[in-house]
Amino acid sequence: MSGKKVMSGKKAMSGSISYQQALDAYLNKTDFAATDLNIDETTLLDKFHPDHRQETITTLQVGPNKGDRCHKQVAKVLQADSRIDAADLAGARIKETDILVIGGGGAGCAAALMAAESGAKVILATKLRLGDSNTVMAEGGIQASIEKGDTPQSHYNDTYKAGHEKGVKDLIKQLVMDGPETIRWLIQQGMQFDLNEFGDLLTRKAGGTSANRVVYFRDYTGLEMMRVLREAVGNSSVDVWDYSPAVELLCNESGHCAGAILSSLQDCSYVQIKARTVIIATGGIGRVHLNQFPTSNHFGATGDGLVLAYRLGARLRDLDSFQYHPTGVAYPQHLSGTLITEGVRSAGAYMINALGERFVDELKPRDIVAAAIIRECKEGRGVVGNSSDGNDGMQGVWLDTPGLEARNPGLLQKRFPKLVQLGLKSDIDITKIPMLVYPTLHYQNGGVVIDENGLSDIPGLYCVGEVSGGIHGRNRLMGNALLDIICFGRRAGLHAFKNRQTRGHKKISIDHISNLRRELMQNEMPMENKSPLLFPEYARYDTIINCEKRGSSSHCGGCDI
Amino acid sequence: MSCDQKNIHTHVLEKKPYNAQSKSSVTLTINAKTITAPANLSVIQALWHAGYPRVKGVGCLDGVCGSCRVMVRRADKSELKMELGCQLLVEEGMDVFFSVFETPSGHSYKLSEIDTSWDVQAEFHRIFPEAEKCRHCNGCNKACPKDIDVEGGIDLAVKGRFREAGEKFVECVMCNLCMTGCPEYIDPNHVGLFARRVTGYFHTRPSNLINQLEAIRTGELSVITQTVDTQSDKKVEGQS
Repeated sequence: MSGKKVMSGKKAMSGSISYQQALDAYLNKTDFAATDLNIDETTLLDKFHPDHRQETITTLQVGPNKGDRCHKQVAKVLQADSRIDAADLAGARIKETDILVIGGGGAGCAAALMAAESGAKVILATKLRLGDSNTVMAEGGIQASIEKGDTPQSHYNDTYKAGHEKGVKDLIKQLVMDGPETIRWLIQQGMQFDLNEFGDLLTRKAGGTSANRVVYFRDYTGLEMMRVLREAVGNSSVDVWDYSPAVELLCNESGHCAGAILSSLQDCSYVQIKARTVIIATGGIGRVHLNQFPTSNHFGATGDGLVLAYRLGARLRDLDSFQYHPTGVAYPQHLSGTLITEGVRSAGAYMINALGERFVDELKPRDIVAAAIIRECKEGRGVVGNSSDGNDGMQGVWLDTPGLEARNPGLLQKRFPKLVQLGLKSDIDITKIPMLVYPTLHYQNGGVVIDENGLSDIPGLYCVGEVSGGIHGRNRLMGNALLDIICFGRRAGLHAFKNRQTRGHKKISIDHISNLRRELMQNEMPMENKSPLLFPEYARYDTIINCEKRGSSSHCGGCDI
Repeated sequence: MSCDQKNIHTHVLEKKPYNAQSKSSVTLTINAKTITAPANLSVIQALWHAGYPRVKGVGCLDGVCGSCRVMVRRADKSELKMELGCQLLVEEGMDVFFSVFETPSGHSYKLSEIDTSWDVQAEFHRIFPEAEKCRHCNGCNKACPKDIDVEGGIDLAVKGRFREAGEKFVECVMCNLCMTGCPEYIDPNHVGLFARRVTGYFHTRPSNLINQLEAIRTGELSVITQTVDTQSDKKVEGQS
């Protein structure tokens, strides 16, 4: 390497390094030095990972997890009042079904398809449209141990270790053993994967995996999966209800889950769905923007399923553990938080700080890499914006796509077309100019406690996908979420119908809401907060829901302008 | 990257590249409301910024779900374009309308009801009888916010070249705008997805996957949950 000498010993300038300064410095280098990449991971996480900021943690006062640690913003929605009263049910339409699936992402579709195939009458209700989900945005791929020499055991070991040994062993075992079969099922739905010249599945490594185990379709794995599943559901007997968020669960006389109350976004009316079994697949809570982080999550990720399940008495776990994906877009602002797949680092892209140095092994698990980026920025080695260029508050490090392209000409366009498009949207040719990245709130590690079939503590209530907890411990590996949603979605769909209550429910009510209100008042919790949130505050959904035409028969169109 | 795709972005690239965007605000209309918003917001963000509620027609906010379809006419152009609202930056004098999402496809099929790959072509024409009537009006291509050669894909599918047809639709987000643009009711995006699905369903048979499935079926591979720590450490070290 006869490039310019690298200033590896250079100290951070006092103050900060601006975007243009740092970009000029980057462009003048042909080689990037690595600072010492061997770091004390425990100290790094303690000092810089957002989960470790004690001031953001509180103790739950109400419900089955009373006394447990919980992120304050999550506690606020868990310990809030219901959106409805018993009186709201008086005029509500009633509909009956065998299985109600709440949520129209990958997990919900997989569950609905399996249940419908086994003969159940299925309603799938979703807040927005079928497929509006985090699944559709997943880029990197899906894990399954299929390469020669790789085993479910290695997959298990990697998953357990990356989760800081806090995952539930039996759930992880189920996940990894189902991996190859899950890929086969997806192919049978008509999903394509990237193949080599002989038709074998191509694989890549993920941060924290000991083998090449992630199978993928370009950087559009989730899009390919979701459009195929949506089409499969659309051509099945599943009755899909768009624009129908669930606002409360129903329970029967023995405390079993017995359906849900949906609130239509079209005309704001309520519908009671009476079901023998309910499968919640509502995803995570990124749109609450924990710790004011930008998020890679879709618009509807407001933790609704957590709230509904908790009120009915389901235990949750790891409510203080979230994943911040290392490479979210930091600039330009209108795309802030947008995900750049870990696959780019798997393919060999470095991350470079404002001094032109590598600062972490890019293929460490996500929590380590994210914490390292935050460290660089906090200690003055990040690239920052300022008010004079209209980018106040912007900060990040470089994702060295130009270096990757130089080492592998043509790779970016071939394997990462979505990223190339993202660059174009940002005025950036990523083969020449690096994207500025900063961690983005990506995934809820914890959630509802489930068994190997996705069944919660509450009879008749299954929870699958990101709303559930225990599989990924306190940190998830790339590619394990797509596997989780399909694996456990399918299991729940099958199991829910096989084990449905054959006896009808005697009495169906929302009596559990009275208990919630009593507990909230006894603990002097504020009653003005309502949940589930359904939408982030900035979309002003509550100005719609409080509109005067609400409940009248005239169609108000949901009041969006 | 096709030339077409590049042209689409010239309006963006004409701005001085890589320079931080100015903090200035722009005035535009969205669904006939006049709105002033900072120049670095998308049209959805601008709507929220101005205090208007908007929940329907918003989805992933990442340009891949197809929910936020908008019609846009730029100040200096007469042309009406279809775009995705989450990906569209506000511009001075822009006129934007949210486009209600189209109802689902009228075409129904199940892959499991196609007996063999020899039957796909006949089944395709049975399921999508309108496809061969394409009159090459270019309506679908013009409607596509992802600049896909939709019409070319339909041509290939009609000829039974499903693998090639499917490749045209790699970036399709199923926004259904091409359906609204088609006077023959072809449902072009669903044709594209059919072409992709039959290719996967009938022709993806990876030996690496099949070998592993067999090893799991016979019990050769299983998981022991006890001795994890030592094994895991050894494996990771062996790799590094």
